[in-house]
Amino acid sequence: MKNIWVIAKNTLTLEVRDKILYGILAFGVLYVLLMLFMADLVLRELPMVKSFGLTGIYFFNALVAIFLGTTSFFKDIDRKVAYFILSKPVSRAQFLLGKFLGLCLVLLLTSAILGVAYLGLILHEHGGFDWLGVLAIGMQYLEMVLFVAFAIFVSTFASSLLSVVYTSAVFFLGHVVSQLVSDASQMGIGGAKLFFVKVLYYAFPNLEKFDARSLAIHAVGMPFAEFGLALAYAAAYCALLLFAAIWVFEKKEL
Amino acid sequence: MVEFSHLTKAYRKRVAVEDFTLSVDAPIFGFLGQNGAGKTTIMKMVVGLLEPTSGTITIDGALSMHPIFKKKLGYMPETPYFYEKMTGMEFLRFCDELFGNGNGATAHYEELLKRVGIYGARDYQIRTYSKGMRQRLGFAQALVNDPEYLFLDEPLDGLDPIGRREMKEVMRELRQEGRKVFLNTHILADVEEICDEVGIIHEGRLLYAGSVKKFCDGKPLEERFMEIVDAHERNRVQARSAHKGHREERAEGGEERGANGKPHHHVHA
Repeated sequence: MKNIWVIAKNTLTLEVRDKILYGILAFGVLYVLLMLFMADLVLRELPMVKSFGLTGIYFFNALVAIFLGTTSFFKDIDRKVAYFILSKPVSRAQFLLGKFLGLCLVLLLTSAILGVAYLGLILHEHGGFDWLGVLAIGMQYLEMVLFVAFAIFVSTFASSLLSVVYTSAVFFLGHVVSQLVSDASQMGIGGAKLFFVKVLYYAFPNLEKFDARSLAIHAVGMPFAEFGLALAYAAAYCALLLFAAIWVFEKKEL
Repeated sequence: MVEFSHLTKAYRKRVAVEDFTLSVDAPIFGFLGQNGAGKTTIMKMVVGLLEPTSGTITIDGALSMHPIFKKKLGYMPETPYFYEKMTGMEFLRFCDELFGNGNGATAHYEELLKRVGIYGARDYQIRTYSKGMRQRLGFAQALVNDPEYLFLDEPLDGLDPIGRREMKEVMRELRQEGRKVFLNTHILADVEEICDEVGIIHEGRLLYAGSVKKFCDGKPLEERFMEIVDAHERNRVQARSAHKGHREERAEGGEERGANGKPHHHVHA
């Protein structure tokens, strides 16, 4: 366990020194600050301001998650830095879990920075603390953690570029498919088409479970059971992906 | 003592190391062979980066991949790559922490960096280091856990003449301290100068193991190395032609064909 923490801490330190991360983060903060101007354009309507703000945080965090998830672990293997680590009393599972935990910490940091900028904006515009916004950002964070787990899993057998493609595809399908299933059942569509969509629905993570933005925008609270379910879903899905990643990585010839 | 017993590493289409058996107790042992001979593969199997297809490696009677053994081991990979945005000091601390150490050991890291001659660059990011400095840092991290056994893969590559002399001096000091040093090299002069024993590897097979002096037998090491490799090549060509001739004979004679007219399949061990 100590080795996992050492690797996680090291990953956090190194990624924080990465200029690309700074770039993405700087644009994220800039976007949130732009809301000050956009708030005027939408006549300071709170739901609109919240919507722009939370969507921006989601987008920039997704960029960070996909960028870090697909490069950090892959680079260590590809550039053979992992030789130093794995020749020491560190198992491959510890190394992989350490990288995952480290990237989760980076995302926690970026979520916190963008979140503070967002909450400051809401406070400035409407003089109140957006608790539901915090919940929405927290749920977004769970989704990002899932992205990182998926990206690391793909990195164990594919190149960095392919990992970007696969992770982005999951990002897209994970949101679309659950919506399609729900629409199809409402419209009474069945048969082979629905079966195909349902196969995709179960094969890919259901990312709509983590979308608490619309609730926060309309100031509707999230039932605790729904929150707990999303948390359990993220934990189970991540565990599955990490287990598969370790299994593949253990067999990989370095 | 390090013991390799019938060690084999096979990839899909080629065998990198074949039936490698050897016991080593020399203070400084050099694996000598051409590029692609299998030296790096053997070292990677010792430190657990690769899993043998068959065979075992034991050190002082315990399997080398056991975590307890790994605490006694230092390894420097060939052409080391680092986290470019770390400083030399930070990298040593990180490596030491992976052994469960690291608290308040700054003096130890400083001493190591002085020993390998890059103390002045201790707080510079590694991306600013020259190739020689990287080699030296790779050497320093292999010593961070005060190891009993050191496995150094081409440790003198990329070093200037002064650097080579200094690193050889460090290896001699390590011998005096009672540590066992294994090094991979294809540079004959290094072996002659610092190794007590040598293992000649060619195409994954061990052709000779023993003292350098005995191996040379009064001749230059280069000449003896070429002799043994050429002799191995000749034997291999002869064995292949004999095998081919035998197969042609069988095909012409047809005496080993089965009742259905098809030849039997022979499995050669």
